[in-house]
Order: sequence, then C-alpha cells, then structure tokens
Amino acid sequence: MSKRILYPLFQLGNPQLRIFRPTFNLTLVRPGREQPADTVQFRIPMEMTKFDVRNYLEKIYSVPVAAVRTRIQFGSNKKRNHLNQRVKRPDYKVAYVQLAQQQTFQFPDIFPEKDKKSEEGSVEEMQEKFMEDERQRQKPDPRRGGVTEWFGL
Amino acid sequence: MASCSRLPLHPFLSATSARLVCNRNVQVEASTAKSLYPPILPSRTAKSKSAKRRVVTEFFEQLRARPVQEKIRALTRVQRKKYVIYPQTFALNADKWYQHYTKTAYLSGLPEKYTEIHSAPLIDESVLSELRSVVCSFILQEHWYLKKGRSFIQREQEHFVTPFLRNMVCALKNLPAKENPVLCLSSLDFDPQVNYYWLRGERTIPAGHRSGRIEPMRFQIDDKPHSQIRIPQQLPEFVPLEAEISAEVPVISVAPDRLPLFRRQYDNNIFIGAKLEDPCCYGHTQFHMVPDRFRRDKMSKRGLSDQVEVSLRANGIASLFAWTGAQAMYQGFWSEEDVSRPFVSQAVITDGQFFSFFCYQLNTLALSPRADGNNARKNLCWGTESMRLYERVTDGDIVGWNDAVLRLMLQFLLNKPQ
Repeated sequence: MSKRILYPLFQLGNPQLRIFRPTFNLTLVRPGREQPADTVQFRIPMEMTKFDVRNYLEKIYSVPVAAVRTRIQFGSNKKRNHLNQRVKRPDYKVAYVQLAQQQTFQFPDIFPEKDKKSEEGSVEEMQEKFMEDERQRQKPDPRRGGVTEWFGL
Repeated sequence: MASCSRLPLHPFLSATSARLVCNRNVQVEASTAKSLYPPILPSRTAKSKSAKRRVVTEFFEQLRARPVQEKIRALTRVQRKKYVIYPQTFALNADKWYQHYTKTAYLSGLPEKYTEIHSAPLIDESVLSELRSVVCSFILQEHWYLKKGRSFIQREQEHFVTPFLRNMVCALKNLPAKENPVLCLSSLDFDPQVNYYWLRGERTIPAGHRSGRIEPMRFQIDDKPHSQIRIPQQLPEFVPLEAEISAEVPVISVAPDRLPLFRRQYDNNIFIGAKLEDPCCYGHTQFHMVPDRFRRDKMSKRGLSDQVEVSLRANGIASLFAWTGAQAMYQGFWSEEDVSRPFVSQAVITDGQFFSFFCYQLNTLALSPRADGNNARKNLCWGTESMRLYERVTDGDIVGWNDAVLRLMLQFLLNKPQ
C-alpha cells in the first residue's frame, strides 16, 4: 500500500476489535475489446500494484486469481476549453485479472432490453398508440420514391 | 446512308443448303474450339483488387520454380510487425492458442508405434542396463560426486540440469548406435537456434493510414532447445497423410494480443539449426530443458500447479511445429506448395527429474489465409504427461528409479528411417 495511512490512535475504552479495510476501490468494467472468458477487467487506482490487486481479490472476495497484468491508460490531452487551454482527461490504471481453476466471467447485461407491454386502456398505451400514429404520418410517401415534397404540386 | 434492302429468302428455304449444313451444332463446336484471342486478364498496374491479386499470383507462380534458398529469402524478406510466440511461455492456457495458430490437433498418449508391444522397436536389455548405469552415474555426478557451490538465483537449472542432460544426450546418441545405424551419421547440436515464420489468420488494421484494410497475421517462433539430433534420412510417418483423426483443432476467435502475445519487428527467420547445404536436414529428436521460472516447485509456489502440464504441452507443440515446419521449408515446401509427404520429429522436455515425450507429424504447411480455405489436413501432436525418472538422491544412492522413462527414451532414439 503506497498511500500513507494514519490509523486512528487507540484510546482507552474504544472497541477492542478494529477492522481496517484498504482505501482502494476497484471498478469492474466491461472490456472494450473482446477478452478471453477467464479474464476480468478492472479500473484501479494509480497507486495500486498488481500484487495489491491479487491480494485484494483473494483476501476480501476470495476470488481465485491466476495472473494479473496492469497498464496505464493515457487520457487524452487534445481537448481545448473556451480559453483555448488544454484540458487533460485523467489517466487511469487498468488491470486484467485471469481467474484460476477454470473459472469464467461474463460481464452482466446491466440494462437488458425489456419487451414491455403496457396495460389495456391505460394512459401509456394510448400515448404509445398516438406516437405510433404520428410516426406513421411523419413518414414520407413511399409512392414518391424518395423524391422530396418540393417537387410536388 | 444505309439502304433498306431485303435479303433474298430463297437460300433459307431448302434444308440442305450449304449454310444450314455448316452451322449445325454450333454451341458444341464453340465450347471445344480454341478461342481465337487470349483470355482477358486484369491489369497488372491498375489500383484494384484484381490487379493486386494478379501480381501476387504471378509472383507465386514464378516462385514455385525457384530454388529453395530464393524461396525462403522471398518469403521472409519483407519485415512487418509480427506476433512472437515463445515456446516456454508465461501465458496461461497457451496450449489451446498455440494449437490454433499451428493448426495442430493434440492427442494425449503416444502414437501406436510406441504403445503397441509388437510394433514398438525392440530394446536390447544389455543396452538398457548399460544406459541405466550410465545415467545413474550422470545424476550422481551432478548431485553427489561433484562439490557444487550455490548457484545464482534463477540459475539452478543451468547449474545442475544442463550438464546432466548434455551427458545423457551424448550417451543416448552413442549407446544405441549399434541397433540404429542412422545415429552414426547423425549430427548432434547443442544450443541450436530454431526459427520459423508463418502467416495465419487475418485481422483488420485498427488505426493508421491503412486502417480498415485486411491483412494476414504473422507469427514467429524463436526457439532454443538444449540439444537436437538431426539425421540425413526422414523418419517414417506415424499415421498416413490423409488419415481421419477425430481430434479437433480448437478455434480461438479472440485476437492474439489477449493471450497475451506481443508484436515486434525484426528479421523473419526460418532455420532448423543448420544451413541449407547440411546433409543432416531431417529432424530426429529435440531435448528441451524447463527453465527455472517454470520449474514445478516454483509454479506450485505461485499457485499455478495446474498449469505445469499445460505449459509443457504448449512448449512441445510450439517448438516441434517450428522445427518440423522449417525442415519442410528446407525441402522446398511452403504454404502454396503443401507437403507431399508428412514430416516427423520428436521431443523430450525435462526439468531434470520429470520427463515428458512429444511426437509431431507435420501434415500441412498451408496455414496462411490464402491457402487455408478448404484444406482439411491438420498437423498432429502426440504427448505424454510428465513422468518422474527418480525421486531423490540420498547418500550416493538414487531412490525411486523409474525404468519406464528410460525405456521410452531409448525407444525414441531407436526410431529409424525406413
């Protein structure tokens, strides 16, 4: 742990058992490029090393870790603000964790497409119908074959 | 001005007129007759796909007639970034990936030649006992007779196993020479370089001025076995070239960067450990030593004890493919001219105590996306789990000796060309 941590001083009368959790937080992200089934991708704080990642996952979550690889992603420095000054997007560290014991991980589909049907005679249903009609009306006339209205009489 | 005139209809009326007699069966004649004009070919210089295809085809056509040296030179001349495959790799589960890149089906267990009793090469018991006593003394030499100081960290294998393996390979080459006369003519290399370069699969270039274009992926293996035996004649095939094998080649759809493999650019090399003019241009057996990093105890300390066999398998597949493929290239075969006879070589991988045995049969070199279209052939690799030769050395005595390993090793060396 490279961050300097000051534990609170023990005062008489404090609880005897104190648990100190690491000050790190990992973000599990969906991999941008396709990864093998046993690889999990995290964004981790810059100070965290691959050994920290391994200990974190093994000790706190008891995930079997086979290998950890890390890299630092350069955040773009190209954008300019309204004063034409460079705006830096912050760098971050990415960790690729390979799971042991033939475990696999698939990033969950957080926002699944729902086939929702609104109830008969409800306001939503009427609104949906109205929107559908309106969409139909807005559509160009298929008989015109893509020729714009301007050429019409 | 064209005058509107009527042709006389009279000649058409009679069926026997000269015109009808001549023109019967026009279509058949047209298909058999030689065309008057040369076929229309795409331009050679235009900026089009067909033009590029024609240039490549013509280049390959004229390459077929060239000598081997020029072929290898032409196929490896252009340097681009290529994936470098390390036979002894830190990557996990690399064997499946290597099988895909080399189009190799893996069969556990050795080929029938070694497993069946009547077809296995007969071993003279006197030779085996002689070899046993010699190998015992080699082990004791390193671990008991010699007073060896402490080695450098991560250099223990070089300190103990390299000299032992060196002695053992010399003994293995010389002792059965009576039964296998081809070993007298063979040549034994220590620390040879084995390189192979090939194309496999396609990728879309993600960025840069060529982005969006499709290009073949290039691969390079640079191997350095501990030693290898080369012979002037070819070993017999284990199974016929077109035999039906049920084992499948695993398909990896993920990019090789995820194994991870890294891309580098340097000379593309194809080399079997000897120059083209060398008469001993066929492989017999390679001996590999497991480096310190991938030793059994170190792997289990890192919690990767299930990866020991996997990495040995990956090592066997990658290094045998490189060596056998380079031998086939030396005989003038390449991806457009696929091998007409299978090429065979063998390998022994050891960390001093544990021995694993691999046999490789190269059935196809047509791995490039251009040649791989409808190629049903696949390369074959047989391999054993690692077997322990002895348990430990105590007080000048070797405990837990396993004769089967030595017997198998002797059988490998007794494999001789027809």
